[in-house]
Amino acid sequence: MRSLSIGATGMLAQQLNVEVISNNIANMTTTGFKRQRAEFQDLLYQNMRRVGSTSSDAGTVVPSGVQIGAGVKTAAVYRINEQGNISVTGNALDLAINGQGYFQVELPDGQTAYTRAGSFQLNAEGTIVTADGYQLQPGLVVPENAVDITVNPNGEVLVKLDGQTQPANIGQIQLATFPNPAGLEAIGDNLLLESPASGNIIAGNPGAPGFGRVIQQALETSNVNIVSEITNLITAQRAYEMNSRVISTSDQMMQSISQMR
Amino acid sequence: MENVLYIALSRQEAMRRQMDVVANNIANMNTSGFKSQRPLFLEYLERPDRRQERMSFVQDYGLMRNLQAGPVTVTDNPLDVALRGDGYFAVETLAGPRYTRAGGFQLNTDRELVDRNGLPVLSDAGARIVIPDGANQIRIKGDGSIETEQGPLARLKVVSFDDEQKMQELGGGLYSTEQEERPVEKPEVTQGALEGSNVQPIVETTQMIDVLRAYQNTQRMIDSEHERLRTAIRQLGRVQ
Repeated sequence: MRSLSIGATGMLAQQLNVEVISNNIANMTTTGFKRQRAEFQDLLYQNMRRVGSTSSDAGTVVPSGVQIGAGVKTAAVYRINEQGNISVTGNALDLAINGQGYFQVELPDGQTAYTRAGSFQLNAEGTIVTADGYQLQPGLVVPENAVDITVNPNGEVLVKLDGQTQPANIGQIQLATFPNPAGLEAIGDNLLLESPASGNIIAGNPGAPGFGRVIQQALETSNVNIVSEITNLITAQRAYEMNSRVISTSDQMMQSISQMR
Repeated sequence: MENVLYIALSRQEAMRRQMDVVANNIANMNTSGFKSQRPLFLEYLERPDRRQERMSFVQDYGLMRNLQAGPVTVTDNPLDVALRGDGYFAVETLAGPRYTRAGGFQLNTDRELVDRNGLPVLSDAGARIVIPDGANQIRIKGDGSIETEQGPLARLKVVSFDDEQKMQELGGGLYSTEQEERPVEKPEVTQGALEGSNVQPIVETTQMIDVLRAYQNTQRMIDSEHERLRTAIRQLGRVQ
Protein backbone atom coordinates (compact mmCIF):
# COMPACT_ATOMS: atom_id res chain seq x y z
CA MET A 1 0.00 0.00 0.00
CA ARG A 2 1.55 3.26 -1.11
CA SER A 3 -0.74 5.21 1.23
CA LEU A 4 0.96 3.60 4.24
CA SER A 5 4.32 5.10 3.39
CA ILE A 6 2.71 8.39 2.33
CA GLY A 7 1.06 8.62 5.74
CA ALA A 8 4.41 7.88 7.34
CA THR A 9 6.07 10.80 5.51
CA GLY A 10 3.26 13.02 6.77
CA MET A 11 3.75 11.91 10.37
CA LEU A 12 7.51 12.44 10.15
CA ALA A 13 7.02 15.92 8.73
CA GLN A 14 4.59 16.93 11.46
CA GLN A 15 6.87 15.49 14.11
CA LEU A 16 9.66 17.73 12.85
CA ASN A 17 7.21 20.64 12.78
CA VAL A 18 6.40 20.08 16.46
CA GLU A 19 10.10 19.85 17.28
CA VAL A 20 10.78 23.22 15.64
CA ILE A 21 7.80 24.82 17.39
CA SER A 22 8.81 23.42 20.78
CA ASN A 23 12.31 24.79 20.34
CA ASN A 24 10.81 28.21 19.62
CA ILE A 25 8.64 28.04 22.71
CA ALA A 26 11.54 26.81 24.84
CA ASN A 27 13.54 29.85 23.71
CA MET A 28 10.72 32.31 24.22
CA THR A 29 12.78 34.33 26.70
CA THR A 30 16.23 33.70 25.22
CA THR A 31 17.97 37.01 24.48
CA GLY A 32 18.42 37.62 20.76
CA PHE A 33 16.82 34.32 19.74
CA LYS A 34 15.26 34.22 16.26
CA ARG A 35 12.32 31.95 15.74
CA GLN A 36 12.40 29.20 13.16
CA ARG A 37 9.78 27.88 10.84
CA ALA A 38 9.57 24.50 9.16
CA GLU A 39 8.54 24.61 5.54
CA PHE A 40 7.32 21.57 3.59
CA GLN A 41 7.19 20.49 -0.03
CA ASP A 42 5.41 17.71 -1.87
CA LEU A 43 7.58 14.72 -2.78
CA LEU A 44 8.02 13.21 -6.21
CA TYR A 45 5.07 12.15 -8.33
CA GLN A 46 4.67 8.88 -10.14
CA ASN A 47 2.98 9.00 -13.50
CA MET A 48 0.29 6.31 -13.72
CA ARG A 49 -1.05 7.94 -16.83
CA ARG A 50 0.92 10.73 -18.38
CA VAL A 51 -0.63 14.15 -18.82
CA GLY A 52 -1.67 14.58 -22.43
CA SER A 53 -1.66 10.89 -23.34
CA THR A 54 -4.27 9.57 -25.75
CA SER A 55 -7.12 7.45 -24.51
CA SER A 56 -8.34 5.96 -27.79
CA ASP A 57 -7.27 5.15 -31.34
CA ALA A 58 -9.12 8.28 -32.44
CA GLY A 59 -6.50 10.33 -30.61
CA THR A 60 -8.67 11.57 -27.76
CA VAL A 61 -6.46 13.23 -25.21
CA VAL A 62 -7.16 12.60 -21.55
CA PRO A 63 -7.89 15.89 -19.80
CA SER A 64 -5.47 15.25 -17.01
CA GLY A 65 -3.10 12.47 -16.16
CA VAL A 66 -3.00 10.29 -13.11
CA GLN A 67 -0.05 11.36 -11.02
CA ILE A 68 0.27 9.88 -7.60
CA GLY A 69 2.39 11.79 -5.13
CA ALA A 70 4.74 10.07 -2.73
CA GLY A 71 4.04 12.28 0.28
CA VAL A 72 5.76 15.22 1.86
CA LYS A 73 9.30 16.26 2.69
CA THR A 74 10.88 19.03 4.72
CA ALA A 75 12.03 21.80 2.42
CA ALA A 76 13.71 24.03 4.94
CA VAL A 77 13.76 25.08 8.55
CA TYR A 78 14.61 28.72 8.22
CA ARG A 79 15.25 31.45 10.72
CA ILE A 80 13.04 34.50 10.62
CA ASN A 81 15.38 37.40 11.28
CA GLU A 82 12.68 39.79 12.28
CA GLN A 83 13.69 42.32 14.92
CA GLY A 84 12.88 41.29 18.48
CA ASN A 85 11.56 43.69 21.05
CA ILE A 86 14.01 45.90 22.89
CA SER A 87 13.72 45.66 26.64
CA VAL A 88 15.50 48.16 28.82
CA THR A 89 17.63 46.60 31.56
CA GLY A 90 19.60 49.56 32.90
CA ASN A 91 22.80 47.56 32.81
CA ALA A 92 25.62 49.58 31.19
CA LEU A 93 27.04 46.66 29.23
CA ASP A 94 23.73 45.34 27.91
CA LEU A 95 23.68 46.22 24.23
CA ALA A 96 20.85 45.68 21.76
CA ILE A 97 21.06 46.08 18.01
CA ASN A 98 18.20 47.94 16.39
CA GLY A 99 18.44 46.93 12.76
CA GLN A 100 20.61 44.42 10.98
CA GLY A 101 23.94 43.10 12.14
CA TYR A 102 25.61 40.82 14.65
CA PHE A 103 28.19 41.31 17.34
CA GLN A 104 31.45 39.49 16.64
CA VAL A 105 32.73 37.19 19.33
CA GLU A 106 35.96 35.19 19.48
CA LEU A 107 35.52 31.58 20.49
CA PRO A 108 38.22 29.80 22.56
CA ASP A 109 39.39 27.96 19.41
CA GLY A 110 40.04 31.26 17.63
CA GLN A 111 36.98 31.08 15.36
CA THR A 112 34.69 34.09 15.10
CA ALA A 113 31.05 33.60 16.01
CA TYR A 114 28.19 36.05 15.64
CA THR A 115 25.45 36.89 18.09
CA ARG A 116 22.57 39.27 18.69
CA ALA A 117 22.56 38.57 22.42
CA GLY A 118 24.37 41.61 23.74
CA SER A 119 24.53 40.93 27.46
CA PHE A 120 28.19 41.69 27.97
CA GLN A 121 30.26 41.79 31.12
CA LEU A 122 33.81 42.55 32.11
CA ASN A 123 36.25 39.78 32.92
CA ALA A 124 39.08 39.90 35.44
CA GLU A 125 41.32 41.81 33.00
CA GLY A 126 38.64 44.39 32.25
CA THR A 127 37.96 43.01 28.76
CA ILE A 128 34.39 43.11 27.45
CA VAL A 129 33.19 39.50 27.19
CA THR A 130 29.92 37.63 26.67
CA ALA A 131 28.11 35.79 29.45
CA ASP A 132 30.21 32.75 28.48
CA GLY A 133 33.44 34.73 28.79
CA TYR A 134 34.12 34.96 25.05
CA GLN A 135 35.78 38.20 23.95
CA LEU A 136 33.88 40.78 21.97
CA GLN A 137 35.76 41.59 18.74
CA PRO A 138 37.56 43.92 18.21
CA GLY A 139 38.82 43.51 21.78
CA LEU A 140 38.02 46.34 24.15
CA VAL A 141 39.63 46.79 27.56
CA VAL A 142 38.02 49.07 30.08
CA PRO A 143 40.66 50.74 32.31
CA GLU A 144 40.53 49.98 36.00
CA ASN A 145 39.86 53.56 37.00
CA ALA A 146 36.83 53.96 34.72
CA VAL A 147 33.70 55.03 36.54
CA ASP A 148 31.23 55.16 33.72
CA ILE A 149 30.92 53.36 30.40
CA THR A 150 28.88 54.80 27.55
CA VAL A 151 28.29 53.08 24.23
CA ASN A 152 26.85 55.45 21.69
CA PRO A 153 24.55 54.38 18.83
CA ASN A 154 27.52 54.33 16.44
CA GLY A 155 29.31 51.79 18.60
CA GLU A 156 31.97 54.03 20.08
CA VAL A 157 32.82 53.01 23.63
CA LEU A 158 33.50 56.02 25.83
CA VAL A 159 34.63 55.80 29.43
CA LYS A 160 34.92 58.47 32.04
CA LEU A 161 38.10 58.03 34.02
CA ASP A 162 38.28 58.85 37.69
CA GLY A 163 39.35 62.47 38.17
CA GLN A 164 38.92 63.48 34.53
CA THR A 165 36.11 65.49 33.00
CA GLN A 166 36.46 64.48 29.32
CA PRO A 167 35.36 60.96 28.40
CA ALA A 168 38.01 58.85 26.73
CA ASN A 169 37.31 56.80 23.60
CA ILE A 170 38.58 53.27 24.21
CA GLY A 171 37.47 51.73 20.94
CA GLN A 172 34.80 50.97 18.44
CA ILE A 173 32.35 48.06 18.34
CA GLN A 174 31.98 46.64 14.83
CA LEU A 175 28.97 44.78 13.56
CA ALA A 176 28.87 42.04 10.95
CA THR A 177 26.24 41.48 8.27
CA PHE A 178 25.90 38.75 5.67
CA PRO A 179 24.40 38.58 2.18
CA ASN A 180 22.06 35.84 3.44
CA PRO A 181 21.80 35.97 7.24
CA ALA A 182 19.20 33.15 7.16
CA GLY A 183 22.04 30.86 6.04
CA LEU A 184 24.14 31.32 9.19
CA GLU A 185 24.77 28.12 11.10
CA ALA A 186 23.47 28.10 14.66
CA ILE A 187 25.73 26.37 17.19
CA GLY A 188 23.71 27.07 20.33
CA ASP A 189 24.63 29.43 23.18
CA ASN A 190 23.10 32.25 21.10
CA LEU A 191 25.99 31.93 18.67
CA LEU A 192 26.00 31.66 14.90
CA LEU A 193 28.79 30.76 12.51
CA GLU A 194 29.49 31.84 8.95
CA SER A 195 28.59 29.14 6.40
CA PRO A 196 28.76 28.69 2.63
CA ALA A 197 25.07 29.59 2.53
CA SER A 198 25.40 32.83 4.47
CA GLY A 199 28.09 34.31 2.24
CA ASN A 200 31.15 36.18 3.43
CA ILE A 201 31.03 38.57 6.34
CA ILE A 202 30.69 42.30 5.71
CA ALA A 203 31.93 44.26 8.71
CA GLY A 204 31.00 47.84 9.44
CA ASN A 205 30.34 50.35 12.16
CA PRO A 206 26.90 50.56 13.73
CA GLY A 207 24.83 53.32 12.20
CA ALA A 208 26.45 52.98 8.76
CA PRO A 209 23.99 52.24 5.93
CA GLY A 210 22.90 48.61 6.14
CA PHE A 211 23.95 48.22 9.77
CA GLY A 212 21.78 48.63 12.81
CA ARG A 213 22.40 51.03 15.65
CA VAL A 214 23.51 49.99 19.11
CA ILE A 215 21.26 50.72 22.04
CA GLN A 216 22.93 50.75 25.42
CA GLN A 217 21.29 49.49 28.62
CA ALA A 218 18.87 47.33 26.67
CA LEU A 219 18.61 43.79 25.36
CA GLU A 220 16.87 42.37 22.31
CA THR A 221 14.32 39.80 23.37
CA SER A 222 13.48 36.76 21.25
CA ASN A 223 11.10 37.37 18.36
CA VAL A 224 8.95 34.36 19.24
CA ASN A 225 5.27 35.18 19.08
CA ILE A 226 3.69 32.83 21.54
CA VAL A 227 0.14 33.01 20.19
CA SER A 228 1.17 32.03 16.69
CA GLU A 229 3.40 29.28 18.07
CA ILE A 230 0.53 27.75 20.00
CA THR A 231 -1.82 27.86 17.01
CA ASN A 232 0.91 26.29 14.86
CA LEU A 233 1.32 23.63 17.51
CA ILE A 234 -2.37 22.80 17.42
CA THR A 235 -2.36 22.64 13.61
CA ALA A 236 0.68 20.38 13.66
CA GLN A 237 -0.86 18.07 16.23
CA ARG A 238 -4.08 17.70 14.26
CA ALA A 239 -2.18 17.11 11.05
CA TYR A 240 -0.17 14.43 12.83
CA GLU A 241 -3.36 12.74 14.01
CA MET A 242 -4.86 12.80 10.53
CA ASN A 243 -1.77 11.20 9.07
CA SER A 244 -1.91 8.45 11.64
CA ARG A 245 -5.54 8.00 10.65
CA VAL A 246 -4.38 7.49 7.05
CA ILE A 247 -2.08 4.74 8.25
CA SER A 248 -4.78 2.98 10.26
CA THR A 249 -7.21 3.20 7.33
CA SER A 250 -4.63 1.72 4.97
CA ASP A 251 -4.03 -0.95 7.55
CA GLN A 252 -7.72 -1.82 7.64
CA MET A 253 -7.79 -2.07 3.86
CA MET A 254 -4.86 -4.45 3.99
CA GLN A 255 -6.50 -6.40 6.77
CA SER A 256 -9.57 -7.01 4.65
CA ILE A 257 -7.32 -8.47 1.95
CA SER A 258 -5.61 -10.78 4.37
CA GLN A 259 -8.96 -12.06 5.59
CA MET A 260 -9.93 -13.03 2.06
CA ARG A 261 -10.92 -16.65 1.81
CA MET B 1 -17.17 -16.73 -15.97
CA GLU B 2 -15.33 -15.05 -13.07
CA ASN B 3 -16.39 -11.65 -14.31
CA VAL B 4 -17.80 -10.61 -10.95
CA LEU B 5 -14.36 -11.02 -9.50
CA TYR B 6 -12.72 -9.03 -12.24
CA ILE B 7 -15.20 -6.19 -11.92
CA ALA B 8 -14.70 -6.12 -8.18
CA LEU B 9 -10.98 -6.19 -8.69
CA SER B 10 -11.14 -3.18 -11.03
CA ARG B 11 -13.01 -1.30 -8.33
CA GLN B 12 -10.55 -2.26 -5.63
CA GLU B 13 -7.63 -1.17 -7.78
CA ALA B 14 -9.25 2.22 -8.31
CA MET B 15 -10.07 2.50 -4.60
CA ARG B 16 -6.53 1.78 -3.60
CA ARG B 17 -5.29 4.48 -5.88
CA GLN B 18 -7.86 6.89 -4.51
CA MET B 19 -6.57 6.11 -1.02
CA ASP B 20 -3.04 6.97 -2.20
CA VAL B 21 -4.28 10.31 -3.48
CA VAL B 22 -6.11 11.07 -0.22
CA ALA B 23 -3.01 10.09 1.76
CA ASN B 24 -0.89 12.44 -0.33
CA ASN B 25 -3.37 15.27 0.25
CA ILE B 26 -3.30 14.73 4.00
CA ALA B 27 0.49 14.42 4.09
CA ASN B 28 0.66 17.81 2.39
CA MET B 29 -1.81 19.54 4.67
CA ASN B 30 0.88 22.01 5.79
CA THR B 31 2.73 22.34 2.48
CA SER B 32 2.58 25.91 1.27
CA GLY B 33 0.97 26.35 -2.14
CA PHE B 34 -0.16 22.70 -2.34
CA LYS B 35 -3.35 21.97 -4.28
CA SER B 36 -5.44 18.98 -3.30
CA GLN B 37 -6.25 16.31 -5.86
CA ARG B 38 -9.24 14.17 -6.57
CA PRO B 39 -9.32 11.10 -8.84
CA LEU B 40 -11.86 10.89 -11.66
CA PHE B 41 -13.51 7.57 -12.30
CA LEU B 42 -14.91 6.32 -15.55
CA GLU B 43 -17.17 3.47 -16.42
CA TYR B 44 -15.34 1.16 -18.72
CA LEU B 45 -17.75 -0.93 -20.78
CA GLU B 46 -16.53 -4.18 -22.11
CA ARG B 47 -18.21 -7.16 -23.76
CA PRO B 48 -15.97 -10.19 -23.24
CA ASP B 49 -17.87 -12.32 -25.79
CA ARG B 50 -20.94 -11.88 -27.96
CA ARG B 51 -23.33 -14.01 -25.97
CA GLN B 52 -23.00 -11.87 -22.88
CA GLU B 53 -24.26 -8.49 -21.85
CA ARG B 54 -21.78 -5.64 -21.78
CA MET B 55 -20.12 -5.34 -18.41
CA SER B 56 -19.20 -2.24 -16.57
CA PHE B 57 -15.73 -2.00 -15.08
CA VAL B 58 -14.37 1.02 -13.31
CA GLN B 59 -11.25 2.90 -14.26
CA ASP B 60 -9.57 5.91 -12.76
CA TYR B 61 -8.77 7.90 -15.84
CA GLY B 62 -7.54 11.16 -14.47
CA LEU B 63 -6.90 13.44 -11.56
CA MET B 64 -8.51 16.80 -10.99
CA ARG B 65 -6.54 19.40 -9.13
CA ASN B 66 -8.57 21.65 -6.88
CA LEU B 67 -7.37 25.05 -8.06
CA GLN B 68 -8.98 27.04 -5.30
CA ALA B 69 -6.59 29.39 -3.52
CA GLY B 70 -5.32 28.19 -0.16
CA PRO B 71 -5.67 30.26 3.02
CA VAL B 72 -3.13 33.05 3.41
CA THR B 73 -1.12 32.87 6.62
CA VAL B 74 0.90 35.83 7.82
CA THR B 75 4.54 34.96 8.52
CA ASP B 76 6.02 38.48 8.80
CA ASN B 77 9.00 37.30 6.81
CA PRO B 78 9.70 40.02 4.21
CA LEU B 79 10.66 37.49 1.56
CA ASP B 80 7.51 35.39 1.88
CA VAL B 81 4.99 36.28 -0.80
CA ALA B 82 1.52 34.87 -1.29
CA LEU B 83 -0.37 34.95 -4.59
CA ARG B 84 -4.00 35.59 -3.91
CA GLY B 85 -5.44 35.62 -7.38
CA ASP B 86 -4.73 33.64 -10.47
CA GLY B 87 -1.23 32.75 -11.57
CA TYR B 88 2.11 31.19 -10.74
CA PHE B 89 5.58 32.49 -9.99
CA ALA B 90 8.25 31.38 -12.44
CA VAL B 91 11.59 29.92 -11.39
CA GLU B 92 14.58 29.02 -13.52
CA THR B 93 15.83 25.45 -13.81
CA LEU B 94 18.31 23.84 -16.15
CA ALA B 95 15.39 22.25 -17.99
CA GLY B 96 13.60 25.56 -18.53
CA PRO B 97 11.12 27.58 -16.52
CA ARG B 98 9.06 25.88 -13.81
CA TYR B 99 6.06 27.33 -12.05
CA THR B 100 5.10 27.43 -8.40
CA ARG B 101 2.69 29.01 -5.96
CA ALA B 102 4.90 28.36 -2.96
CA GLY B 103 6.20 31.88 -2.48
CA GLY B 104 8.62 31.35 0.40
CA PHE B 105 11.66 32.99 -1.11
CA GLN B 106 15.15 33.54 0.25
CA LEU B 107 18.37 35.22 -0.80
CA ASN B 108 21.30 33.08 -1.83
CA THR B 109 24.94 34.04 -1.40
CA ASP B 110 24.88 36.00 -4.66
CA ARG B 111 21.91 37.94 -3.20
CA GLU B 112 19.62 36.46 -5.84
CA LEU B 113 16.02 35.84 -4.91
CA VAL B 114 15.56 32.06 -4.86
CA ASP B 115 12.78 29.69 -3.87
CA ARG B 116 13.00 26.96 -1.22
CA ASN B 117 14.69 24.65 -3.71
CA GLY B 118 17.35 27.30 -4.33
CA LEU B 119 16.06 27.96 -7.85
CA PRO B 120 16.29 31.59 -9.00
CA VAL B 121 12.98 33.43 -9.18
CA LEU B 122 12.38 35.18 -12.50
CA SER B 123 11.35 38.77 -13.11
CA ASP B 124 8.81 39.75 -15.77
CA ALA B 125 11.77 40.40 -18.06
CA GLY B 126 12.77 36.75 -17.62
CA ALA B 127 15.89 37.61 -15.64
CA ARG B 128 17.08 36.66 -12.16
CA ILE B 129 16.36 39.18 -9.42
CA VAL B 130 19.44 40.41 -7.57
CA ILE B 131 19.04 42.52 -4.44
CA PRO B 132 21.89 45.07 -4.44
CA ASP B 133 24.45 45.09 -1.62
CA GLY B 134 23.49 47.29 1.28
CA ALA B 135 19.78 47.19 0.52
CA ASN B 136 17.96 45.95 3.60
CA GLN B 137 14.41 47.10 3.16
CA ILE B 138 12.87 44.88 0.51
CA ARG B 139 9.31 45.86 -0.32
CA ILE B 140 7.17 43.75 -2.62
CA LYS B 141 4.10 45.63 -3.73
CA GLY B 142 0.66 44.31 -4.58
CA ASP B 143 1.39 44.12 -8.30
CA GLY B 144 4.58 42.13 -7.67
CA SER B 145 7.05 44.96 -8.18
CA ILE B 146 10.05 44.89 -5.86
CA GLU B 147 11.57 47.99 -4.33
CA THR B 148 14.44 48.61 -1.96
CA GLU B 149 15.47 51.82 -0.25
CA GLN B 150 17.69 52.36 -3.29
CA GLY B 151 14.71 52.49 -5.64
CA PRO B 152 12.61 50.19 -7.80
CA LEU B 153 14.28 46.96 -8.77
CA ALA B 154 12.22 44.52 -10.78
CA ARG B 155 8.82 42.94 -10.96
CA LEU B 156 8.01 39.33 -10.17
CA LYS B 157 6.87 37.29 -13.13
CA VAL B 158 3.34 36.05 -12.56
CA VAL B 159 1.93 33.93 -15.36
CA SER B 160 -1.12 31.82 -15.98
CA PHE B 161 -2.05 29.16 -18.49
CA ASP B 162 -5.07 28.25 -20.56
CA ASP B 163 -5.53 24.86 -18.94
CA GLU B 164 -4.04 24.62 -15.48
CA GLN B 165 -5.22 21.01 -15.16
CA LYS B 166 -2.72 20.06 -17.84
CA MET B 167 0.19 21.28 -15.76
CA GLN B 168 2.31 18.46 -14.51
CA GLU B 169 3.35 18.16 -10.88
CA LEU B 170 7.05 17.66 -10.35
CA GLY B 171 7.18 17.63 -6.54
CA GLY B 172 8.83 20.33 -4.48
CA GLY B 173 5.84 22.56 -5.23
CA LEU B 174 6.87 22.89 -8.88
CA TYR B 175 4.81 22.46 -12.02
CA SER B 176 5.87 22.19 -15.62
CA THR B 177 3.85 22.65 -18.76
CA GLU B 178 4.36 23.03 -22.48
CA GLN B 179 1.58 25.58 -22.77
CA GLU B 180 2.21 29.19 -23.69
CA GLU B 181 2.73 31.54 -20.73
CA ARG B 182 0.05 34.18 -20.35
CA PRO B 183 1.15 37.10 -18.15
CA VAL B 184 -1.33 37.98 -15.43
CA GLU B 185 -2.20 41.65 -15.94
CA LYS B 186 -3.08 42.47 -12.37
CA PRO B 187 -1.54 39.95 -10.00
CA GLU B 188 -2.45 40.13 -6.34
CA VAL B 189 0.73 39.68 -4.39
CA THR B 190 0.92 39.94 -0.61
CA GLN B 191 4.24 40.38 1.14
CA GLY B 192 4.96 38.77 4.50
CA ALA B 193 2.51 35.94 3.99
CA LEU B 194 2.38 32.47 2.50
CA GLU B 195 -0.40 30.65 0.72
CA GLY B 196 -1.20 27.55 2.72
CA SER B 197 -2.32 24.26 1.25
CA ASN B 198 -5.96 24.13 0.16
CA VAL B 199 -6.48 20.63 1.57
CA GLN B 200 -9.69 20.49 3.58
CA PRO B 201 -9.10 18.00 6.39
CA ILE B 202 -12.78 17.19 6.89
CA VAL B 203 -13.37 16.44 3.22
CA GLU B 204 -10.29 14.24 3.14
CA THR B 205 -11.32 12.35 6.27
CA THR B 206 -14.79 11.62 4.93
CA GLN B 207 -13.24 10.55 1.62
CA MET B 208 -11.01 8.21 3.54
CA ILE B 209 -13.93 6.65 5.41
CA ASP B 210 -15.79 6.37 2.14
CA VAL B 211 -12.90 4.64 0.42
CA LEU B 212 -12.39 2.23 3.29
CA ARG B 213 -16.05 1.20 3.46
CA ALA B 214 -16.39 0.85 -0.31
CA TYR B 215 -13.25 -1.22 -0.35
CA GLN B 216 -14.51 -3.47 2.42
CA ASN B 217 -17.90 -3.84 0.71
CA THR B 218 -16.23 -4.89 -2.50
CA GLN B 219 -14.20 -7.34 -0.48
CA ARG B 220 -17.40 -8.80 0.92
CA MET B 221 -18.81 -9.04 -2.56
CA ILE B 222 -15.75 -11.00 -3.65
CA ASP B 223 -16.10 -13.26 -0.61
CA SER B 224 -19.77 -13.98 -1.24
CA GLU B 225 -19.14 -14.61 -4.93
CA HIS B 226 -16.45 -17.03 -3.92
CA GLU B 227 -18.89 -18.69 -1.54
CA ARG B 228 -21.54 -18.87 -4.28
CA LEU B 229 -19.18 -20.59 -6.68
CA ARG B 230 -18.05 -23.05 -4.04
CA THR B 231 -21.61 -23.95 -3.07
CA ALA B 232 -22.57 -24.32 -6.71
CA ILE B 233 -19.72 -26.68 -7.43
CA ARG B 234 -20.47 -28.72 -4.33
CA GLN B 235 -24.21 -28.95 -5.04
CA LEU B 236 -23.76 -29.82 -8.70
CA GLY B 237 -21.28 -32.49 -7.78
CA ARG B 238 -23.77 -34.06 -5.37
CA VAL B 239 -26.59 -34.28 -7.99
CA GLN B 240 -24.38 -36.33 -10.27
